[in-house]
Amino acid sequence: MNHPMNGAGAVSGLGMTEMGRVYRSAIDLASEAVYLAIDDAGIDKSELDGLLINTGITRGLDLHLHVALGLQELNLLTFMQGYGSSAGQMIQYAAMAVANGLAKNVACVFADAPLVDGQRTGASYSGGRRFGGDALSSLHGLYGFTGAIPMFAMAAQRHMDLFGTTRDQLGQIAVSQRAWAGLNERATKREPITLSEYHDSPWVVEPFHVLDCCLVSNGAICVIVTSAEQARDGRQPPVYIRGFAQGHRHDTGQTVPDSAIRGPGSRSASRALAMANASLGEVTQCQLYDCYTYTVLVTLEDYGFCEKGEGGAFVEDGRLGPGGALPTNTGGGELSSYYMWGMTPISEAVIQGRGQAGERQSSNDLIICSGNGGMLNYHSTVVLSPETAS
Amino acid sequence: MSQSEDESWLPKPSSRTAPFFEAASEGKLRLQCCDDCGTWTFPYRERCQHCGSRSIVWRDASGRGTLYSHGLLRRAYHPRHEDRLPIVLAQVDVTEGVRLSTNLVDVEPGAVKVGMEVEVAFESLPDGGIIPVFRPVID
Ligand SMILES: [Zn+2]
Repeated sequence: MNHPMNGAGAVSGLGMTEMGRVYRSAIDLASEAVYLAIDDAGIDKSELDGLLINTGITRGLDLHLHVALGLQELNLLTFMQGYGSSAGQMIQYAAMAVANGLAKNVACVFADAPLVDGQRTGASYSGGRRFGGDALSSLHGLYGFTGAIPMFAMAAQRHMDLFGTTRDQLGQIAVSQRAWAGLNERATKREPITLSEYHDSPWVVEPFHVLDCCLVSNGAICVIVTSAEQARDGRQPPVYIRGFAQGHRHDTGQTVPDSAIRGPGSRSASRALAMANASLGEVTQCQLYDCYTYTVLVTLEDYGFCEKGEGGAFVEDGRLGPGGALPTNTGGGELSSYYMWGMTPISEAVIQGRGQAGERQSSNDLIICSGNGGMLNYHSTVVLSPETAS
Repeated sequence: MSQSEDESWLPKPSSRTAPFFEAASEGKLRLQCCDDCGTWTFPYRERCQHCGSRSIVWRDASGRGTLYSHGLLRRAYHPRHEDRLPIVLAQVDVTEGVRLSTNLVDVEPGAVKVGMEVEVAFESLPDGGIIPVFRPVID
């Protein structure tokens, strides 16, 4: 039984700005990404009739982006926020819209500009909680729970205490991804690292070193989604949207035993693969949301590439890196290339799906992409392929 | 990371959250509990998040729990962290069924393990406030 959405939509355009310490506003960056994507798709601006917008920590974009873009005749327009799951969600809503005649060409755009000239890298992500707000929420800052790092570090620590996952195994994820980044001219950090350099990098919150944590980047990425038919006439090789799903859950503050070691990804991935009429064994590469090394490990487990608790052993032989059996985050990921929230895995999947990844091109028959928001709370999965549904 | 003399580390609690801090000054851990279904809740809510009841009251908790997970803060983000790094970050599952984000004190970082038994303790802040922290149970 073929699902009606299996391959109904396709990515026809990709626009990526310069990323990193680019001191421009999120609106300017987003506008550039949209124009780059329009050009990449080979369509006229007047043919763009849908716009989905998502922004990062500094909330530099809102619904009014369409004004800056001069888009006057839109059939679809909304601002979305599902944190790191947003990019995958935008692709999903865009695919459903083009498949059902709501719009013909939908631009999905993310932009953020958390890096400020003269401020340290993490300032935008760690600020805001120290003072102000209610006394109870201020307690977090006193204890040392600033930003997302402590919660993910503790999640990783629970995995280590329960399953014997080692620091070397987490480190191998960073090392593998950095090796990929060396093959990506867009990557911010391209110099190879060794495990011992990983261990020597400064602590943030143990068990996390700086090299366990994603970069902070300014920039924008836009993906244009259109129907499969129209994508075949486009300027670029079509990348078909074969399957997708979401899974969300929130920590209620109750003592749920698995919340640190199991996310909603398993529900999301199994349904996305079912839509694609594919099995996990057919996946040839992964583009996984990697806000931290641990996020990759837990997502591999949740998706079923290995048993729960065995993620450490699964990654330690370099399986994810260049030449490995399961190429993962082939552009370097958020750890080493650029941090555009869920657009980091999506953009690399589109490049790979088109066969345009140069030296780092990997087998692209079936690409699974994840997006993660919150502390394993909000999840999206998208399955992409250069092959349409069989 | 400086702080002006008159700036308190904690804003004055609202009427909604004052019972938590009043309890701390009495050496008690007080959390919300639903009178209808018995579910305990933290942080503050107006309604029981389990059954939706508004019969939700502040009640003294046992102050005992187990360590769900832990991490070691290595950088100061707040004046309280200065001169006392590393700080053990902890998630404590109190016996009433609520998970608290807190600090574990009076322990060597290397001795901290998931599942260890912990109990509430109280720390005085420079401005006179008192906050709950946790420490290992020594039987
Ligand atoms: Zn209740």
